[in-house]
Amino acid sequence: MNPIQRATAGDAAGHHAQSEIRSAALLRQVMAEYYREFGEPGDGRAAPVAWCTSVGPAELLRALGFRVFFPENHGAMLGAARTANRYMPLAHGQGYSPDICSYLTSDIGACLAGETPLSSFGLSATPRPDVLVFNTNQCRDVREWFEWYGRRWNVPVIGVRSPRSLETVTDDDVDAIAKQILLLIPTLEAVAGTRLDGARLAEAVRLSRECSDLWEACLYTASRRPAPFTFFDATIHMGPAVVLRGAEAACRYYRVLLAELEERVGQRIGAVPSEAFRLYWEGMPIWGRLRSLSTLFTGFRTSVVASTYCNSWIFADLDPADPIRSMARSSLELFIVRSEGAKEAYIARMVRLYDVDGIVFHDCRTCPNNTNTRYGMPRRLGERLGIPTLVLEGDVNDLRCFSDEQSRTNVEGFIEQLADARLSGVSR
Amino acid sequence: MPDKTILAAAGVDVGTEYVKAVVVAEDGHVLGRAVLPARGYFQACAYEVLAAALDDAQVAEADLSAIGATGFAMNSLPRATLTATEASCHAVGAFHHFGRPMTLVDIGGRDARVIHVDEAGHRVDSCGVRRCATGLGNFLMFAARHLDVSSSRLQELAAAAERGVPVTSYCSVFSASEVLERLRDGAGLEEVARGCMDSIAERIVEIGGFRDPLVACGGVVEYFPSVVEAFQELAGMPVHTVPEPIYTGALGAALKVLAMSPSHDAGALKEQIR
Repeated sequence: MNPIQRATAGDAAGHHAQSEIRSAALLRQVMAEYYREFGEPGDGRAAPVAWCTSVGPAELLRALGFRVFFPENHGAMLGAARTANRYMPLAHGQGYSPDICSYLTSDIGACLAGETPLSSFGLSATPRPDVLVFNTNQCRDVREWFEWYGRRWNVPVIGVRSPRSLETVTDDDVDAIAKQILLLIPTLEAVAGTRLDGARLAEAVRLSRECSDLWEACLYTASRRPAPFTFFDATIHMGPAVVLRGAEAACRYYRVLLAELEERVGQRIGAVPSEAFRLYWEGMPIWGRLRSLSTLFTGFRTSVVASTYCNSWIFADLDPADPIRSMARSSLELFIVRSEGAKEAYIARMVRLYDVDGIVFHDCRTCPNNTNTRYGMPRRLGERLGIPTLVLEGDVNDLRCFSDEQSRTNVEGFIEQLADARLSGVSR
Repeated sequence: MPDKTILAAAGVDVGTEYVKAVVVAEDGHVLGRAVLPARGYFQACAYEVLAAALDDAQVAEADLSAIGATGFAMNSLPRATLTATEASCHAVGAFHHFGRPMTLVDIGGRDARVIHVDEAGHRVDSCGVRRCATGLGNFLMFAARHLDVSSSRLQELAAAAERGVPVTSYCSVFSASEVLERLRDGAGLEEVARGCMDSIAERIVEIGGFRDPLVACGGVVEYFPSVVEAFQELAGMPVHTVPEPIYTGALGAALKVLAMSPSHDAGALKEQIR
């Protein structure tokens, strides 16, 4: 018996464990339909295709009748399939550094290789864009990424250039972004061959807000003990919130998922058998190690119950009565756009809301903008909140930046530290 | 020969460079110890070193109440009654000697780690070197090989140097390449040996979080005291060394498992160690 086993012996009486979430079958179906609707190039597509960054103006694109493709989702698929490292060298050979976003390098590399995991949905390639629309609220790399495809396919690349590191989001900030969104409309109308209908935009924003509210409710079920699903589950179940924002299909899915999660809460069914410790994940997922990390934490009876990453698809400011400005505000209220102080206040709120024992920070080698370990935050937050923090070095897609053995050792030591504190009655 | 009725426990630290074992009596004093190079087949090494420590202690394995295991390959000892991380075992081992709160720096073959130890001897938290610096102790063995000297001679060379040549990379592999470059460019063996030690000290200083008293342990501290000197210089504060620093983790594992033993009743020791 090790100290972790001793610290948790006898805990969690009455908890049941059931890792399989039934809604996963419907999730696969919803995602498959989304991909298949793009069809093959030359199929005589029913709708133009717009590529959009993950928190770009997707509602506007849907209102104009575009099918919306999110290359970051494709990058995550390459990471999860553990094929990213095969493709990245091809992008490096084009002069794109190994130190920049590995979503970008793996996606461009896959394009150069003529391969895609979308082949399992009948697509031989990512859908060819008619226009690419970015928002730099998350990073510069998304624009560079889209520019590469813009040159390749000779199609317009337009977008919103956002301020960063905002302490508060002012009306002036919102006005500036709203004006930029309005300036996108003429180009998008020309590509779509139609005029923007205000009612359709309001409806897309309404659906997006409903999806956001449902997704938030799903995530919030993990505030209960035992948590019915974990961060690792949520990274998979967030698919519709990412790619079908502004579409009814996403809302339909989250109504089903929420009902199941609430049922699990009612029956005290936890994702982790006999949940003993609860953690918060800050930073990007390590897509190629989701399963092994989930297994590692589960082995220590530890549930990673919440994350900044999955919360980033909650857009509580969307308002169908004021679509453009509310889209602008939503894009600026995001965690990634905010200052260190605002980020720390947010994480502190989450730590209380989800009642976690510690925070795991992922120092994502190629994603500095979504890494919050490099200016002292883990130490400051640990001292302020009185809970331990752990920094795992890794990457969203580039597994050369991740060491299984070092990470296992660090996680084990961290959980053992929590167990020691519990055994000695130390509470925060 | 010790009294047959004595209750003894053993700790085994299965590291990447060396495998260590310590046998302790029920009052926590060390009866015997042994260290062997790790040779890849960890289970055989672990049992071999345990047998050697038992022999040194003049204790039969049947008289052991329990075995604690720690280190890189701690799970290769199926007979262990407890496994615990290096950080927690080093904290217990160092506290056994010093008996006060400290910042403990464990410098081993694979990893260096800063461990805060509280007034009860408990590990409060710990933080390791950045990923690229993993293997920093192993790197010294690499350097010795390329200087065509033994590890003890590497230490003698470093101690004789007035200053080291820069070996500046964050990465143990790149640092190894830098060693070859310095040799090609005509640097003396002493300067290169000292540069390697300085390089390791820099990686440890980067971890930060040092509070007085600062205490060092681990295999690198045992065999390469010049690393401790360089670290002390960079940290700007005195660095104390745990007696028999290479055995700190094994000692901690033995003391932890001893404190857990149901038949053990060494009051103060049991209070002190979970």
